[in-house]
Amino acid sequence: MDFQIERNDIANAGTVSSLTKRHLKKRGLSRSFVKRVTIGVYEAEINVVIHSYGGTANLNIENDYVEIEFKDVGPGIECISTAMQEGFSTASPYAIENGFGAGMGLPNIKSVSDEMYLDSSEDGTTLRIRFYIKDEDYENKPINK
Amino acid sequence: MDINDVLKLLDAKQFNQECPHCVREINYAFVCDLMSDALMLLKKMPSHIGAHGALVTGLVTNQALRTAEILDLETIIFVRGKTPAQSVIDLADEIGITLIGSSLTMYRASGLLFKGGVKSYESVLEEEA
Ligand SMILES: Nc1ncnc2c1ncn2[C@@H]1O[C@H](COP(=O)(O)OP(=O)(O)OP(=O)(O)O)[C@@H](O)[C@H]1O
Ligand SMILES: [Mg+2]
Repeated sequence: MDFQIERNDIANAGTVSSLTKRHLKKRGLSRSFVKRVTIGVYEAEINVVIHSYGGTANLNIENDYVEIEFKDVGPGIECISTAMQEGFSTASPYAIENGFGAGMGLPNIKSVSDEMYLDSSEDGTTLRIRFYIKDEDYENKPINK
Repeated sequence: MDINDVLKLLDAKQFNQECPHCVREINYAFVCDLMSDALMLLKKMPSHIGAHGALVTGLVTNQALRTAEILDLETIIFVRGKTPAQSVIDLADEIGITLIGSSLTMYRASGLLFKGGVKSYESVLEEEA
């Protein structure tokens, strides 16, 4: 599934994570698993909205994992290890007014996901996160699994 | 605490329709104006608490609703007399979240809730331990 994410479109941010949540619930995945994925997707989606010039998200749900890739077209993250620190933020006043800029997004993405790949240059940022599905993550087994 | 008692206690009003499947009871409350902070802190909270929990915030935006949605919280209490836009109210109806508004400050609203027996995140941790 592909999604377009517009720059500074804060009112619609959260659509990708909300739809992801719906799809995962439909598959019978547990609330705690769904919450973990949704938090990661939401934080990543917001980052594309408030920090980038716009981008896309691609959601892939398999039987044993969920993977989602975010790609944007710049301006990129200057120093990834700094950006990964709790509390580091370059959020604009506009983003802060809207409840962002705690500098907790990337650290939280790392903490909820099982694998996280982050690469960035002036031409854009790619973030890929993966969540492995274990048997106990199914609340109700899907019928046509 | 029954949601109607909360409305009286905070001299508050409800902005949207009755949410059909909501429990309409607030036993826990969490205050935040920075959404990622709430998501970081509350992500491990057991889901059964969410439905009985409220997010108390001064942020009257879709993003406050999205944050509550992710955390399975069914009620948002807006403080300092802020009124959500119609589009925010519509989103609340769509995703099933009850929106309440009080003109009290964050501190006073929270203090009244606490005195009324609404519990904090610390209580969640103690109950789980
Ligand atoms: N897609 C992106 N493009 C450019 N810069 C980014 C991107 N994602 C993150 N960053 C940079 O990394 C910093 C840290 O990101 P992080 O998500 O941890 O915090 P934040 O978005 O500033 O605040 P919060 O997530 O708590 O609301 C950002 O302030 C920004 O400088
Ligand atoms: Mg962020």
